[in-house]
Amino acid sequence: MPENRQPAEAVNPLEVRDLSVCYRGVHGEWAPVVEEIGFAIGPGEALGLLGESGCGKTTTALAIPGLLPANGRVVRGSVRLDGRELVGLSERQLEGVRGAGIGLVAQEPALALNPVIRVGEQVAEVVRVHRRLPWRRCREEAARALAEMGFADPGRIFASYPHQLSGGERQRVTIARALVCQPPVVIADEPTASLDTAVSVEILALLRDLVERHRLALLLISHDPRVLAAIAGRVVVMRAGRIVEQGPREEVFRQPRHPYTESLLRRLTPPTPTDGADPGSGEPLLLDVRGLRKTYTLRRPFGAKRAVDALAGVDLAVGASARLALVGRSGSGKSTLVRCLALLEEPDGGEIRLGGQDLVALPRRQRAAVRPGLQLVFQDPAAALNPRFSALDAVEEPMRLQKMEDRRQRALELMEQVGLPPALASRPVPRLSGGQKRRLLLARALATRPRVLFLDEPFTGLDLPLQTQIAALLLDLQASYRFALVLVSHDLDLAGSLAGEVAVLDGGRIVERAAPADLLRRPRHPASRELVDAARTLQGKMDGVVE
Amino acid sequence: MRYVASRLGYGLLLLLGVSILSFLLADLSPGDATAEMRLNPRISPGAVAALRVRYGLDRPLPVRYVRWLRSVASGELGWSVAFDAPVGPLLWRRAGNTLVLAVTAMILAWIVAVPAGVWAAARQGSWGDRLGLAASAVLLAVSELVLALLGLALAASTGLLPAGGMASLDYDALGGWGRARDLAAHLALPAVVLALSAFPVVHRHVRAAVAEALESPFVQAARGNGIPRRRLLWRHALPAAAKPLVSLLGLSIAGLLSGSVLVEVILSWPGLGPLLLQAILARDLHVVVGAILLSSVFLVLGNLVADLLLYWVDPRVRGT
Repeated sequence: MPENRQPAEAVNPLEVRDLSVCYRGVHGEWAPVVEEIGFAIGPGEALGLLGESGCGKTTTALAIPGLLPANGRVVRGSVRLDGRELVGLSERQLEGVRGAGIGLVAQEPALALNPVIRVGEQVAEVVRVHRRLPWRRCREEAARALAEMGFADPGRIFASYPHQLSGGERQRVTIARALVCQPPVVIADEPTASLDTAVSVEILALLRDLVERHRLALLLISHDPRVLAAIAGRVVVMRAGRIVEQGPREEVFRQPRHPYTESLLRRLTPPTPTDGADPGSGEPLLLDVRGLRKTYTLRRPFGAKRAVDALAGVDLAVGASARLALVGRSGSGKSTLVRCLALLEEPDGGEIRLGGQDLVALPRRQRAAVRPGLQLVFQDPAAALNPRFSALDAVEEPMRLQKMEDRRQRALELMEQVGLPPALASRPVPRLSGGQKRRLLLARALATRPRVLFLDEPFTGLDLPLQTQIAALLLDLQASYRFALVLVSHDLDLAGSLAGEVAVLDGGRIVERAAPADLLRRPRHPASRELVDAARTLQGKMDGVVE
Repeated sequence: MRYVASRLGYGLLLLLGVSILSFLLADLSPGDATAEMRLNPRISPGAVAALRVRYGLDRPLPVRYVRWLRSVASGELGWSVAFDAPVGPLLWRRAGNTLVLAVTAMILAWIVAVPAGVWAAARQGSWGDRLGLAASAVLLAVSELVLALLGLALAASTGLLPAGGMASLDYDALGGWGRARDLAAHLALPAVVLALSAFPVVHRHVRAAVAEALESPFVQAARGNGIPRRRLLWRHALPAAAKPLVSLLGLSIAGLLSGSVLVEVILSWPGLGPLLLQAILARDLHVVVGAILLSSVFLVLGNLVADLLLYWVDPRVRGT
């Protein structure tokens, strides 16, 4: 390894060379996860790292500041921060680097902040740890960093606990925490994955600003090329632990040299309805919702109650073979609506008619008999599956509850249909990949032959090829099982590409309903316009690069 | 604070229920405080009957209960037949002694178990951790009885510590400092025995809760910003793990009065334990009911303290 220290001007803030990382498996064998990757990021430059889930992006992000889990190890290569080698440093030395030399913006802002410490303190403590200033000065530094994040009232943010902030606010706080010591390098791993489109656009704009203002070297990691197109000057594409392509953004996005890159860049292909049925026109009405209301009462143990109207009178008609997308900002009532429709939540008023029968008025016991016909596929497949079940058990379970015949046979068929080979049947749920878990959830939901299938954010966290696959699978399944499809999404692009019709929710009401193309072209309601604008901004960045 | 008031109201109702139940159950068991006298040929049946009238034992159950309630209101808490004295003062002094012992033991157990648990959580699977787990497993398996007997044998054979009681014979002659030292010497053995029996539960709870918190994304995120290990443990993981620990603390407050009965009896600590034993054997109903009620009071208080602590520890509970 060359040991010559060069003057600071000539050195890139971050240089990764020939880096290989191995993980030790359950049987003690070492498997390579990242192999011989290398890139450099200059000051004021944003490098995008693109790849599907499981390609080694996050491992790379963890390996750079020495944060690999106990079963991971850098086996070869070098990571240099301003010319200083980081591989092989002690934990103590790395603690000094993290936060001061390399700032880390976490993936999930909802989980990245300690719930029992005021967020201002959490920013200030980073200063305290690295600079050893008196607390008062640390708080001032933290307040300064927060003020730079574009908050209208940084004082309120400083004194808040994480649960009092919105997703976007929390992400700004974690960015402030990563930047408060002015590190030359910042790593942001999927900083927008859990945020809705409008907020994502704001966060990305903020990051771009900060990169320019502070001459940061930013490593931005995402599975979504639209996110990278928004700020990254250069793009690195990873697959199965290796870099398959890297270069200036325009070059990579316009003329991808590797077919894999091409597959990542393809937009989610709008599916062609297989049976040619025009959803909504003249087909029998299946689900008829009128004036549905739901109010949550937030009860504090030591204080007053507060009522929140999650649904303020929703009217909705769904045809027997409809593909309807419910879109809206986070907090607009989408999730509450599907949870009420799937009878998992008791509405406070209104009607839900399924084939003419009002389900809200049904006594509890009879409602249980209707429930198998209304299936909800949850957002987080890892949380929605019992980790002690095998794949086959998970699919069989609902049939067992319904006392159906030939369960095993049918479960295997269902798995086959969602693209899970029989070899996976006995595999424990935790050892399935993210995509496989999603397929398994679909199989489970179809086990009771539902008349309506609800999908809550079915594409979150999936890369484009996988999104395309799942979308195509859904259409296939709908053709063979004949159910109405109602999906919830905050991503208008994705929702629009799968659904025949889009309903926009805002403030617990449906404010607009239109065909996706019409909505994108002429949004009528302000809430729809906001969604369309956000989607345009994100996609526009991408198109601007590609055109 | 309206919340606290309503909680205390519920607590009172609970106490009323507990007292009624104890009266009913005591009435179902055969015999009363005069049962043994009746077997004694030297006491005439007339004298026994007179005693029964004097203590009101001949009256029907509801009447006895209402009488008892009245004496509770006056602070007497009923009348002990065995001691021929009001129950209240009798209980207060004994309960005070028990509290001195139990609180000391609890503080001892927590002061050792919390750092030990945090330490173990930070070094899961290490030799030190395994040793700690093994030690707490042994303590968990060995009953207080054995621990107390062991302690007694040790004290008796070495003579380092007084082997029982709460004060030396010359206690009254000692000065303030001497009295404190005398008390501490007598307290040491039963307190350590009690603390040892409480240690494994706290140790394991702390270890599990902190280990889980260490895995959480926010601790990892804080680590990613260079927060050093020690601070991660004490400032980030421990407060975030406080919820189950606070509940445990509430439970252990609830058990303060009743947890030490066995140890008190064996090491002859003049607390509630020996009194309760005596009272049960003598069928001294009001003393038994009084002791049960005191335990219930601690149950209510312990839960209230746990809730208040949780309110203080966890901003999400405050819900602002």
